[in-house]
Amino acid sequence: MKLICLFVALSLSISGVYSQNSEDFIPVDAVTVFSLNNISLLQKVSLDDLVKYEFMAELEQELFDGSTSGKSIKESGIDFDQKLNIFYGRGDEYEVAGFTFGIKDLNQLFTVFDDFDEQVSPLENVKYYSSYFNHLLVRGNVGILIRVDPLPRVIGEIADSIWYSRGNEYIPYDYYGDYYQAEEETISAEDEGYFQESWEEEEGPSEEEIFNVEDEIEEIEDGADYVYDEDIASKNYNELRDSVYATLQQEYLNNICVELIVNNKNLKKEDKELATLLTHTSEGVFYLDNSRNLTKSQRFGYLQSILPSLHDEIKELYTGNKIMGDFILNESSIEAKMTANYGEALGSIYTALNDSKFDKKVTKYIHKDNSAYFTYNVDLYQAYEKAYEIVMPMLRDEKNTSVTSSVLTIELLNAFVDKEALFDTYRGSMFGTFNGVKKVLVRRIDYTYDEDFNYTETEVEAEEDMPIFTLGFSTKRNDIPNIVLEQLAKMTSEFKNMGKYWRFDNAILNSVPLYIINRNGLFIMTNDEDLAVNHTDGFGSERISRKQVKLTKKTGFVYGQIDWSKTISNLPREIFTAEQNKLLNSMHGKAGMMTLTSSKTTTTTTHFNLKYDFNGTYDNPGQYILDLVNSLYIIMK
Amino acid sequence: MKLIFSFLALGFMLSSCIEIIDDITMNADGSGTFKYNVNLSVSKVKINSVLALDSLEGKKIPSRDEIKGRINHFVLVLEQKNGISNVIVDSDMENYIIKLTCDFKSVRLLQDAITSTLEEELNENSNILNENLDWLTWTGDSFARSIPDFTIKKTKQLKPEEISLLKQGNYICISRFNRPVKECSNANAQIAKNNLAVMLKTNAYSLSQNLNLLENTIYLSALKP
Repeated sequence: MKLICLFVALSLSISGVYSQNSEDFIPVDAVTVFSLNNISLLQKVSLDDLVKYEFMAELEQELFDGSTSGKSIKESGIDFDQKLNIFYGRGDEYEVAGFTFGIKDLNQLFTVFDDFDEQVSPLENVKYYSSYFNHLLVRGNVGILIRVDPLPRVIGEIADSIWYSRGNEYIPYDYYGDYYQAEEETISAEDEGYFQESWEEEEGPSEEEIFNVEDEIEEIEDGADYVYDEDIASKNYNELRDSVYATLQQEYLNNICVELIVNNKNLKKEDKELATLLTHTSEGVFYLDNSRNLTKSQRFGYLQSILPSLHDEIKELYTGNKIMGDFILNESSIEAKMTANYGEALGSIYTALNDSKFDKKVTKYIHKDNSAYFTYNVDLYQAYEKAYEIVMPMLRDEKNTSVTSSVLTIELLNAFVDKEALFDTYRGSMFGTFNGVKKVLVRRIDYTYDEDFNYTETEVEAEEDMPIFTLGFSTKRNDIPNIVLEQLAKMTSEFKNMGKYWRFDNAILNSVPLYIINRNGLFIMTNDEDLAVNHTDGFGSERISRKQVKLTKKTGFVYGQIDWSKTISNLPREIFTAEQNKLLNSMHGKAGMMTLTSSKTTTTTTHFNLKYDFNGTYDNPGQYILDLVNSLYIIMK
Repeated sequence: MKLIFSFLALGFMLSSCIEIIDDITMNADGSGTFKYNVNLSVSKVKINSVLALDSLEGKKIPSRDEIKGRINHFVLVLEQKNGISNVIVDSDMENYIIKLTCDFKSVRLLQDAITSTLEEELNENSNILNENLDWLTWTGDSFARSIPDFTIKKTKQLKPEEISLLKQGNYICISRFNRPVKECSNANAQIAKNNLAVMLKTNAYSLSQNLNLLENTIYLSALKP
């Protein structure tokens, strides 16, 4: 009987191992998850194209070595009956990213992952491979590709503690260079008066604390499978940082793997909403836990240590704040249907904020040939009242001098300020357009040379490409901005009243004028001279079509559309951040129209629909899915 | 100077025009005046848009005040060098034109001063700058000009895409004397109508591809006994 029981238990445990699919290995640290169901659509995508996506960045180094050349995903040994799950998360101490997938043919998989070397696996029933910073765990027919990066703050704290505890000198940071210049530029603490003073003023870590940190590192190194350098004392600062990085990386990876495989703890199991989402049969699903994003942010951590009760209340306010949705592939479009979920308290603020009537006047100022535009309809007055009702009691309960003083200020302002005038001036509804690039005249200095090569400076006019933007908001009180504009005109000769509009010379990039139109219940700022000079009351017959107006009007609080073919090559890349540029790069060469609409906001949810109507043939729909996944991955990361 | 270099690099990165005028006036005793003008006014819209950012491609973007501060520091360091006097920098941060002027006792001292100031400002490993310091040679009857070795090394570090951005830039090299020029070795050089100056104009991209383009030896007419 004992034998039968043992056999049954063993069978159950083995079937438990092998019945798990790729989605059962998403780490609990993941905050963003993209799960593609119908990955057979991706079979035609070449691996070279796949690794160019941002969500594949972890593998880029491995796969750009030529091993993928000319191959498609079909030939990669991946099991197309399982989901492909891309995940990313950022915790207090590290970032984790990667993906889980089904494996059909392990040998074929390693013709692609050919730089991965098998390592001694610390876990039973798991094969372990690594290459540079990437790690591949194979359990049964599931592969988990994972990369863990300790946060620079954590590495810095430990490396600095060890460095100084050894009596080393201050390392100045080369702000304009790429890296620390540890060896050439060490400044003696005795020689550096400022450093000495600040060291004395600030109470640094005690000797005991410093040595505890070093002991901890040694313990981590002892406990880890890898010893990166025995002779840690002889390392320079950069080498020490690298050692701390490698040690922490291995430690965090071990912890994640033990949690995931030994303790069988994964995000699907921990989050029922994700588990339900993963049962959807659409082409793919995505998940963003915004409440964890918030609580893991540095500012929120600060709040926890300084104002713990306020921290708890805000955490409570954001509980359940998740964005989830499906990717749906249609004949000539792909849609991301998203639902933002939140608790009732936060929902009541959002409902008040978004309960606003669409201001049709803004459509008069959107040209029919625009490259992109958005409208955003909110009622800040109602939202202010609701937020005051919900947030102020939390702040009033806080027994902290600075919070009490802020509460007093807010309460006095609330009592004395004419809120109606304030919010009638700016209620929050706004619109923006991008109208491509136009030539604008700028002044430049040229040198002219005489026959003896003496030169003189001459100011000349030159044409330069300038992206044309318009941004405006609805107002019931044009008279109030007018007070400000009139005073500005008295302060500087560059600010002029041109009758129906105002002109502020050299306001944009110190080179071209900004035009302000303050009439018809709108306050508009633009660098479009044509709009200001010839269309102060709107574009008339050149405005967007009635059909387009209807579409814009019937959406919830937000509507946006981008014509990719007109926009992508004209956007001035310099004004976008590195992350935003990644997004733009990902869409480079694409055509078609992308639109964002929203539903009416309720106290628990708001629905969004991001639709990409692609132009061209329908021969490779997987590419479009990946484009959309990539765009959302960058936005949500 | 590193900031100035970052500032200049911005010009290159922005596919913009940059005009550099390198103007040396030689006196008979080997002393002279050095003028170096950098004109980025053609690209001021793009520079303004970049200066509005905190960082670009992982590099911190300096503020106008930081650029001005470093330029002033450069002047302080340069004017303490042996044989250098009357250092003046005029930085027009509205049009992005920087003009450096200084007097020197000899071209040897000028080169030493520039090299050691760059060493101090760039914190470069000294063996990068110390290899060939003779890009200016004055014999009394001739004046030879070339490109300093460290510029050649810096150019070689540029990425192909950065090099292609130099196509619209101009480098103008002017040498002035107080007696007539007899001839010069570079066929592209022009002699002024008054015979007292030589100008060599090249495109910054061509210069990056062929660093010998500015090599020129100017022979002066003999002094009257």
